[in-house]
Amino acid sequence: MLQFHEQIITDLLEEDSNGGLVIISSGLSLASLISSLLLLHSPSQGTLLLLSPSPTLKSHILHLLHQSDPSSPTPAEITADLPAPSRHSLYCSGEAVFITPRILIVDLLMSRVPTSNVAGIIIPHAHSLTETSTEAFIVRVLKSVNKNAYVRAFSDKPHSMISGFAKAERIMKSLFIKKLHLWPRFQVFVSQELEKDPSVVVDIRVPLTKHMAGIQKAIIEVMDACLKEMRKTNKVDVEDLTLENGLFKSFDEIVRRQLDPIWHTLGKKTKQLVSDLKTLRKLLDYLVRYDAVSFLKYLDTLRVSESFRSVWIFAESSYKIFELAKKRAYRFVRSNGANVNSNSKRTTKKRRKPDGEENHFESAAVGSSSTNSSSIVLEEVLEEAPKWKVLFEILLETNEERKKASLSVEEHLLVGTELDDGIVLVACKDERSCMQLEDCITKSSQKVMREEWEKYLLSKVELREAQARNKKKPKDPKGFGILDGVVPVTSAQSAEVSGISKQEHEALLAAASEIRKMAKNENTEDNAEDIAVTEGNAKGRKLRTRKGRQNNKNNHNRTGTSKKNDYASEHVSIENDQTNGADHGTADRICQRVLQENDQMNDDTQSKVNKALPPLHFYALESDQPVLDIMQPSVIIVYHPDMTFVRQIEVYKASNPSKKLKVYFLFYEESTEVQKFEASIRRENGAFESLIRQKSLMMIPVDQDGRCVGLNPSLEPQPSSLQNSITRKAGGRKDVDKQMQIIVDMREFMSSLPNVLHQKGMRIIPVTLEVGDYILSPLICVERKSIQDLFSSFTSGRLYHQVETMVRYYRIPVLLIEFSQDKSFSFQSSSDIGDDVTPTNIISKLSLLVLHFPRLRIIWSRSLHATAEIFFSLKANQDEPDETKAMRIGVPSEDGFVENDVRAENYNTSAVEFLRRLPGVTDSNYRAIMDGCNSLAELALLPVDRLAELMGGQKAARTLRDFLDAKYPTLL
Amino acid sequence: SSSYGGPSRNAILVSHRQKGNPLLKHIRNVRWAFADIVCDYLLGQGTCALYLSLRYHLLHPDYLYYRIRELQKNFKLRVVLCHVDVEDVVKPLLEVTKTSLLHDCTLLCAWSLEECGRYLETIKVYENKPADIIQGQMDTDYLSRLSHALTTVRHVNKTDVVTLGSTFGSLSHVMDASMEDLARCPGIGERKVKRLYDTFHEPFKRVV
Repeated sequence: MLQFHEQIITDLLEEDSNGGLVIISSGLSLASLISSLLLLHSPSQGTLLLLSPSPTLKSHILHLLHQSDPSSPTPAEITADLPAPSRHSLYCSGEAVFITPRILIVDLLMSRVPTSNVAGIIIPHAHSLTETSTEAFIVRVLKSVNKNAYVRAFSDKPHSMISGFAKAERIMKSLFIKKLHLWPRFQVFVSQELEKDPSVVVDIRVPLTKHMAGIQKAIIEVMDACLKEMRKTNKVDVEDLTLENGLFKSFDEIVRRQLDPIWHTLGKKTKQLVSDLKTLRKLLDYLVRYDAVSFLKYLDTLRVSESFRSVWIFAESSYKIFELAKKRAYRFVRSNGANVNSNSKRTTKKRRKPDGEENHFESAAVGSSSTNSSSIVLEEVLEEAPKWKVLFEILLETNEERKKASLSVEEHLLVGTELDDGIVLVACKDERSCMQLEDCITKSSQKVMREEWEKYLLSKVELREAQARNKKKPKDPKGFGILDGVVPVTSAQSAEVSGISKQEHEALLAAASEIRKMAKNENTEDNAEDIAVTEGNAKGRKLRTRKGRQNNKNNHNRTGTSKKNDYASEHVSIENDQTNGADHGTADRICQRVLQENDQMNDDTQSKVNKALPPLHFYALESDQPVLDIMQPSVIIVYHPDMTFVRQIEVYKASNPSKKLKVYFLFYEESTEVQKFEASIRRENGAFESLIRQKSLMMIPVDQDGRCVGLNPSLEPQPSSLQNSITRKAGGRKDVDKQMQIIVDMREFMSSLPNVLHQKGMRIIPVTLEVGDYILSPLICVERKSIQDLFSSFTSGRLYHQVETMVRYYRIPVLLIEFSQDKSFSFQSSSDIGDDVTPTNIISKLSLLVLHFPRLRIIWSRSLHATAEIFFSLKANQDEPDETKAMRIGVPSEDGFVENDVRAENYNTSAVEFLRRLPGVTDSNYRAIMDGCNSLAELALLPVDRLAELMGGQKAARTLRDFLDAKYPTLL
Repeated sequence: SSSYGGPSRNAILVSHRQKGNPLLKHIRNVRWAFADIVCDYLLGQGTCALYLSLRYHLLHPDYLYYRIRELQKNFKLRVVLCHVDVEDVVKPLLEVTKTSLLHDCTLLCAWSLEECGRYLETIKVYENKPADIIQGQMDTDYLSRLSHALTTVRHVNKTDVVTLGSTFGSLSHVMDASMEDLARCPGIGERKVKRLYDTFHEPFKRVV
């Protein structure tokens, strides 16, 4: 632990024993703060509840705990899986325990927590709280019973602490916290300690390739255009809409916060702009993270999934993005300029692409000496990421240095000099880059590109095959459109948008099928000769890929150029290949040269190099593991710069002052990567400055004992009526007007309504409900839908079924449509209503629902708080609901045991939902399927017969099996 | 507007009370005619609607109750069509909600006269329509079904569905994929990988 960490802890413990909120710069090791608090805890104080931190933070904490005291047991964890008695004993144990907020609030409401035994709560993610979140609910209930319990909240995301008006202050009030502790990186203690003995830093700027720079420029142009469009709508504050902000995820938040109140009144175009900006930001990120082929592949998928809606895809610069991305991977060379098709193609090309690239293409094509009638052949370019080479050089350099160092140590026989042979850590953004870089080092970068390329082509061609095979089968009109394997609309669309002419398309397919064929008979060397012999066949063939095999051959003949680049034909000497001549584009020649070199290098050089490399470890920043502490690297290569990681390195260096540490930063020069990195530091500093200002103006109300009285103290009901425990005892003081109670479904504790209801003095009984979300009285059952839920559950049909069951079991079934306070109170702008009655409109759906369930009542609520008031007034002269009855309603009798209250937690809910959406799976058979197989992965492997057993019918089983095994349509 | 003589079965019958209501201008997809009826709008055999502007309600808080009482038990579906035309809605809407709920009326809110008109039209037009468009029968083509299923996993979007599909070839391969293979897909980050993997590999029911 560092000195400033100790300082933070001392401040926190001494200044106010009732707790505090600590905000530190990201990367300054929140984990070591929390773990040292856990270490300081002694059972005599009472139980310490640690509200579940994120999995990565938790593993950090556990790691540190283990490190400081390997003998101590790891803290227990309270989850839904733990039965109530063992939960109780943990609550009483006096130990520190991890607990999920949902379990804690339910146990608190059911008076299952011996509150006097609780020493305090630690909340590790204060930035994600709001006044109505479960954590605030927990603290309020706990504080009402045990005033002395402390609340210690932490956050290492300062910028999310300043979103919205006085967020920090409101969070503190809702957690009953008085003191705010700010520890930015620029704080004197912190910076002194971290900069005392800094590590050696080498900053390497790698230039982008021409195409990459082109793509980046084009993306930024499109983004700028989108932003301009956005400003034109006059719906957003222009000030925040800068390109720099556009680079961050939080930009979406800025825009959403501004637009949310009027979201429903926005036109389609504005909404599309918002999502387009998000897509573009991702593209910028992927441009520097992914290799050329993966990037192209991602663009392809985007085109398929977005082409109908997006605005940006049709922008002029977007065309450049696609075009350049393609050029990084492959290009087309015409072997015969006189071809009619190619003439027509040239005109279309010119129209779309006004720059000079065309000429370049032409010259390459004209120079080709082939006299084939075929027009276009494919050439691979497979541009490598510039950083790859640099990374390799760094590794070699490191190795050289180490060799020298070890030599000098031997020469001088210096005793005690530590030999620098620690691990070299390469830090990338994601797991994917790690794996790829590892491949690049162990194999060779060319090979990696080649493999990516093959995969890319294969994914395109495979379905073509399926199509050819199934050609004769009649089209099933009701089928999923999978038998013929093509999505006609998308393929047409993509061809149109991308400007891939039919010929280019064919050439791609040809190359793909070639690769596939090669992969099939990997080692048959005479393959290449065979092809040469059949050359004559090529003439007069139509350029249509109908039958896979024949065409493969056909293409082999024509695509002499692409053949030489194919890895399986490495044996064919490039110089001997007559057709290929010497007149290709320079880029291509370079590519050839590299390939040749590589072929020779592959076996000897590469392996030599491998042996020479220092011990390497690749680390994905996303996974956020305590890697520095575990690996103890002596060289760190930051492949994708990230502010948090830089801080982690600093902390690591400061806590290991004796260790020599060299850090390399790899930036793409003049790229958004640099911009983003610098902006992230500026942004955090700005956030802290704003927090410091806020702190000076903060007003936290306290009672006469100096305790924070929390949020809206006037609204707070009398503590006596607030405690569930007291009302449960029949001998309560003035319980003449009994406290109102509402039965709430466990799953609803994800939302804030139970909190607000409780705040208004309602007694909350958490149970698992099969029907409805809230039971107000024996007659009234409420299904609550936020606007988003409403729309989605109309489409999925879920709402219909929920209402159906409610109507079956309750006299007054109610649909509660709850709007959000900060969004507009309406469904749509009047311009969206349209002139006709259309089935897709929400009005139509609601009308239909109302017509089919005339007994259904609808509550329209402006906000959470309005809902609470409505519930109050509805309950006014109704009986109190009965929890045991409510729980039993709608539960199928065969598994009639509704033993524990946490049933929802025991299901893998997303898996169940997934299952229910598969074709063939119905409301009546999904339970049987879940009983019959363990998981979805298992289901995927079950044969039809077994499925038929489970699903109670061959037909349903067939439907499901076919769907699972259906070939995914090709992207081309 | 149409005269009284038309075949009243296919038209909305409008009470004379509603004469002069600008809402009538917006009933354009269905014919309507004035008639002597208790309710404001007769939308079908057992379906009627009362029109209430929130602004009017603020002036005459008892109006709605008396109108509902007049209706007696003659209708299967009784709609209170509430035109939200005030800024501060919480209190008046609460009263309207309570009155309609406790007196067996279905409350529908609309924010403009167009919307009010559209509700009336739609209820009339859909009088005998089956409920299949809200029963979850969505597009039956492969891609829609596939993304319908895969997007249950949080944060997985349509682009990811295409990526997964084209990478693994079929849904069963996606469901059986290893974490590493999932991570290799462009655009699928750490969190999505974990969510997907857990969805497929965690048991449906966790053992307690």
